[in-house]
Amino acid sequence: MELRIDKLSQTYPNGVEALKNVSLRLKRGMFGLLGPNGAGKSTLMRILSTLQQPTSGSVRFNEFDVLRQPEEIRKRLGYLPQEFGVYPRINAETLLDHLAVLKGIGDKKQRKEIVEGLLVKTNLYSHRRKNLSGYSGGMRQRFGIAQALLANPSLIIVDEPTAGLDPAERNRFLNLLSELGQEAIVILSTHIVEDVKELCSEMAIINQGTILMQGNPLDSIKLLEGKVWKKRVPKDELTAYKERFEVISEKLIAGQPQIHIYSEVAPDETMEPVQPDLEDVYFSYITGKLQGNPQLSPA
Amino acid sequence: MIGNVIKFELQYRLKRPATWLYFGILFLMACLALSWDNLTVGGGTGQVKENAPVALATISLILSVLPGFFLMSGLMGVPIVRDREYKTESMLFTTTLTKGQYLFGRYIGSLLITLLVFSGILFGLITGSLIKTGNEDFLAFNLWHHLSPFLVFVLPNVLIGSALFFMGGALSRNLLFVFMQGILLLMVYLLADGLLGEDLENRNIVALIDPFGLNTSNVVSQYWTIAQKNTQVYAMEGLVLFNRLIWLSVAAFALAATYFGYKMEVVSTRRKGKKSKTKATVEKLLPNFVMHQISPTLTDGFRIRLQQIWGLARLYFAEIFKSVPFIAIAGAGMVIMGVNAVFFNTIYGTPVYASTGLVLELIGGFNLFFIIIIVFYTGELLWRERDVRFQQIFDATPTPNWVTLSAKFLGFTMIHVVMILLLILAGILIQIFKGFPEIDLGLYFRYMFSDTFFFLLLFTALGFFVHTLVNQKFVGHAVMILFFIVNAFVLGEIGLEHKMFNYASGGLGNYSDMNQYGHYVNPFNWFQLYWFGMAAILMVVTLLFSQRGTDMLMKTRLKLARYRYTQPAIIGSAVALMLFVGSGCFVYYNTNVLNEYRTSDQTKELQANYEKELSQYAELTQPKIVETNLKVDIYPEQRDFEAEGYYYLKNLSDEPIADMHIQLANQGGLALDYLRFDREATISKAYDEFDYFIYSFAERLSPGDSVKMDFKVLYDSKGFVEGNPNDEIAFNGTFFNSRYFPSLGYNDGFELGSDDDRKEYDLPVKEPQLPRDDPRGLAQNLFGDDADYIRFEIKLSTSADQIAIAPGYLQKEWEEDGRRHYHYKMDQPMVNFYSILSARYEKLEEVWDSINLEIYYHKGHEYNLDRMMKGMKQSLAYYSKNFSPYQYQQMRIMEFPRYSSFAQSFANTVPFSEGIGFTQEIEEGAIDMPFYVTAHEMAHQWWGHQVPEAGVRGNAMISESMSQYSALMVMKQEYSEEMIQKFLAYELDRYLSGRASETKKERPLIEVQGQNYIHYRKGAIVMYSLQDYIGEDSVNAALKRFNQDWAYKRQGRYPNTEDLLKYFRAVTPDSMQYLIKDMFETITLFENRTKEATITESSDGQYTVHLSAEAIKYRADSLGNETEIPLTDWIDVGVFGETEAGKDTLLYLQKHPIRQKEIELDIVVPIKPTKAGIDPINKLIDRNPDDNVKAIIES
Repeated sequence: MELRIDKLSQTYPNGVEALKNVSLRLKRGMFGLLGPNGAGKSTLMRILSTLQQPTSGSVRFNEFDVLRQPEEIRKRLGYLPQEFGVYPRINAETLLDHLAVLKGIGDKKQRKEIVEGLLVKTNLYSHRRKNLSGYSGGMRQRFGIAQALLANPSLIIVDEPTAGLDPAERNRFLNLLSELGQEAIVILSTHIVEDVKELCSEMAIINQGTILMQGNPLDSIKLLEGKVWKKRVPKDELTAYKERFEVISEKLIAGQPQIHIYSEVAPDETMEPVQPDLEDVYFSYITGKLQGNPQLSPA
Repeated sequence: MIGNVIKFELQYRLKRPATWLYFGILFLMACLALSWDNLTVGGGTGQVKENAPVALATISLILSVLPGFFLMSGLMGVPIVRDREYKTESMLFTTTLTKGQYLFGRYIGSLLITLLVFSGILFGLITGSLIKTGNEDFLAFNLWHHLSPFLVFVLPNVLIGSALFFMGGALSRNLLFVFMQGILLLMVYLLADGLLGEDLENRNIVALIDPFGLNTSNVVSQYWTIAQKNTQVYAMEGLVLFNRLIWLSVAAFALAATYFGYKMEVVSTRRKGKKSKTKATVEKLLPNFVMHQISPTLTDGFRIRLQQIWGLARLYFAEIFKSVPFIAIAGAGMVIMGVNAVFFNTIYGTPVYASTGLVLELIGGFNLFFIIIIVFYTGELLWRERDVRFQQIFDATPTPNWVTLSAKFLGFTMIHVVMILLLILAGILIQIFKGFPEIDLGLYFRYMFSDTFFFLLLFTALGFFVHTLVNQKFVGHAVMILFFIVNAFVLGEIGLEHKMFNYASGGLGNYSDMNQYGHYVNPFNWFQLYWFGMAAILMVVTLLFSQRGTDMLMKTRLKLARYRYTQPAIIGSAVALMLFVGSGCFVYYNTNVLNEYRTSDQTKELQANYEKELSQYAELTQPKIVETNLKVDIYPEQRDFEAEGYYYLKNLSDEPIADMHIQLANQGGLALDYLRFDREATISKAYDEFDYFIYSFAERLSPGDSVKMDFKVLYDSKGFVEGNPNDEIAFNGTFFNSRYFPSLGYNDGFELGSDDDRKEYDLPVKEPQLPRDDPRGLAQNLFGDDADYIRFEIKLSTSADQIAIAPGYLQKEWEEDGRRHYHYKMDQPMVNFYSILSARYEKLEEVWDSINLEIYYHKGHEYNLDRMMKGMKQSLAYYSKNFSPYQYQQMRIMEFPRYSSFAQSFANTVPFSEGIGFTQEIEEGAIDMPFYVTAHEMAHQWWGHQVPEAGVRGNAMISESMSQYSALMVMKQEYSEEMIQKFLAYELDRYLSGRASETKKERPLIEVQGQNYIHYRKGAIVMYSLQDYIGEDSVNAALKRFNQDWAYKRQGRYPNTEDLLKYFRAVTPDSMQYLIKDMFETITLFENRTKEATITESSDGQYTVHLSAEAIKYRADSLGNETEIPLTDWIDVGVFGETEAGKDTLLYLQKHPIRQKEIELDIVVPIKPTKAGIDPINKLIDRNPDDNVKAIIES
């Protein structure tokens, strides 16, 4: 099972280059696509879900050409878009059943079982007769996952699924997702580093339409080991630090900025070394401190 | 603060291209409507100039409604909705802006922009007028003519529409709701329009309730003459003022409602309540639930596709069927239909039986709503997933595009089917309420599920096609509306008038009980096949370009379309193309190869050339037909006939004749088999293009000599034609007349009639008829110059189940070779005008005074046979007593299909349309039209047949006005005075509106030239009035003498109107001689009105009525310019009392000499009066007959 993206480019009529020569190779398991807002994630997701034609490049899923044979991909695809609405005056059970038919599940009994199973699994069973328009954000997102799983897909694409969810909803949602990686390629696009850290065996970082890295999250963290330093600095000295050091990230801790700095050696004695995490990896790539894939990634 | 809001709105809107686009649309349409001949928007015709004030007002009004109200809904609906859509509400509402400032700022700003847009109409008209300055069809430029309709109609319309649409947008914050309002307004307009109908009573109500003022302007100017139309502007007074006030108050109310109803909240409180209820449910997580892993069986066979289509179609059906706009449109359509049903198909206020065929026509009125539904919902359905933001999930499912499209089509089709069933149910209910329970369910289903259903499918396909290609909902709607406009108005103008260019054309037409859909069925089938081929092509293209995914670029869609053009699509498009081209070829073969096809321009050109080349022969002396002997074999099932026979032609002139000019009938399908003379003759010149041939005799025909002309013509219905088929030759109900047979010499009936056309083809403007004293005209009768009176004999044959009838007496009837044969022969000379009919008839026979009376009717149409029979009897009695004996021993009425609505009098034969008389439902107090029409046609046996008038101007006054008079006298004997008054009120209205829509010139009765409103309508009014003034006996005495002197003039000189007037003058007292001038020789109108009527009771119990009234007498010229003339008249003064039953009864009615405008009179009556007035029962022509009588005030 393999999804192969080759030299994919997308230029919009207004001149924006959403994807530049993107190539990726994905195998079974959870794949995290990390990137800031506007990096080109959604464009890539839409192309993979057959909703958009790229300007150039190719996408192959197993033996199928995604761009030329979208119907073959759609049979195997489960897709949860970043944002979606539903028909008014329709409940979860009816719509799932309806979508199951559209996905090609002809047998009524089977459909009923699957729909019920998914409703239970996504904890929507007790709300199955309720109009979808009355669902909360989290419930709607879980409905989204339910519909994506309807036809036992071998390619699952979820675009920014946790945006806008409260922490409890998010946890529930990620638990659900983690079960899926066994049998399918699951692509999780997100700008939240935590999501990837907790779930993915493989990841890529994308920014401004370009893939900055692809590899195993843990391997990539190893790349940074011993190279990340932190310091709490007064607000008015922040700019000075930024000029002097390669600052990966900054955040306020109890009102005072704390910066992480990338450096092969200890920059000065006031800096404390820190155990890098995925967030440091992410920011190092985004800010250009790190380049290239971690060599340790398994073949 | 409010200033800033307005300023913002103005700045924002002025930068929007849409504002200027809308302005441009209105500007261009207004300008072109005036200055471009190919765009006509109710402008002036004939003598009414293109930029006459009335024409300018009509254009302004129409444009302010369409596209005006459509644009306005966009302009005024959005300002509040916009803040919701762009989610700027939260920001705005948290500022210090008050509700009033916000709402009225937005309102005023948008209103100013709307006014700017609508000023396009004004500037467009001004520009159009200026461009055409100096053109003979244009008046000199007059700014007020352009400005006044803008102020009186457009400006109020903008204020009304703006307020309503603003309210709709602000309160619903949903554009769809705003469009709905527009449709609702249209409903009110249509409701008003439906009320207008035939009934005279409702006009003022209609004028008041029309939201657009269209009907108001029509009612106000209904009797305006050419001169008035060219000079008069609509004043802000009377009905116009009240209408505007009513609707402006509605607008003010709408603004108030907006202010009080609008809440400055982002989430409406009502909805919030509902939401919190759902949120309140607490979720419980089921710990570690393990889903039993099911591997679903995915299929992609045909079965699952059907399942998918059905599932989706049901969803879409429900989406449309449950949506509020749909319910509103469909409901409103039903309501309008119900209202129309109340005023269903009336002739002079008398309804027609609600037969299934007629109810189907009524239901046809719903098609407009079907079109609205299709325009909106094809867009809505295509955009359904995108509108609810479900398309990413939906598009990523493996459902093929063709399944989605089929499902949308099927869902819509289900809507159509349900609507059709509802309409059938409504039709049945109408029939039951109308008390006509003969419900033809089969006909309902046959028609609705062919003609209507196909029409719906074709336009649904078009809607999906347009919306798919355009891919922008609002623009898609606009393109669809544009399509309907182009289809209806533009195609013909640019020469693409062939029905094959007019999408979904070629309907079944109207139903005739006699002939059913008859010869319309075959072309219907082929045209539908052709259009379904077209629709199939459209659907394949729609499929190839259907939007899937988020990419909307045409380039990508083209690329995708190429990917999608795989084997099934190729096969599909090939089949569709074959169907389209194949059936198209067949249709073309029928319309253009088997039959002759001409565009209207080509026809006009042919007519012009005919006149240019052949009018030189117009005055040629030809022999006259003195005998006609024919054998006509009719084959109804093939719609063919063969006619063979001869004319005897006699040289009645005093010079020898060398050439015979033969004109064959101008009728497609007709061919000459042979034509020969019994003396040597050769064709010396043939004008094949005009079927006109000149035969030269070897030896000239001497005066008094005769020649026999044998001929045979074949009528062959081949396939079908492009335009209206020939309804005269039908499967059941053939009725054609002598025009199918060869005639002699030039026929000026083929000439171009309208002045505009004549100018275009460089022909001098010509009066249609010869002057009253033209010797050539006086020497021929109204049936033409081919003959005076002829001897007539005819043998007919037809299929075994039909009866064939022609003038003359039946000599013999027999069967031979499975066909029925008839031999008719007239025992005395008759005019050269005869009819041939054949149908499956039932027969009703009675004898009156040894005259056989027969009615041949369609089985089932027995309703009014007794009224017609009575009409024949009463007519014979009255006419033979008062005019002269009836010339035949027999009279027959024959029904023919309702493709035409008239009755016509031939010698002892009256063909009578099933559309009038036979199927009318005459209730107590209604005008008995079958009786009246019968009496009128009977009168023609005297006026027209006994006395055929000369072929000169005014001739219709002799045959038609005298027949109107005769029929009125017969009706007067049978029915009450009130019914006559009711009838004459319609005649007056028709006369006044007839003269208002005159395009050339109105003529006095003695000069009438084929103007129905004069010789029928005015003729009836003045003749009735004449007998009231000088006495019925005197008029009859005059007519009797006229008949004695002029009946059966064999040759040389026929009577004109002057001849007739002499007899009237002779019986009119000197004091009344002015009437002859007023009624016949001039156009005279009155403006009589009662100002006040009071009473005083005297001691002896008598009442004295003091009447204060006014009488003005006008004389109008041919364009309607009026001059007041002095009064030397006798005018009725009447006083009404009330019977115990509360009905009006005349206490006093006397003619008073009136010599001056102001009238003060005292009249004594014995009973307490209620009303009084001048000319109280409207014997004079008066445009405001309602103000003649006033209720009496007690002093």
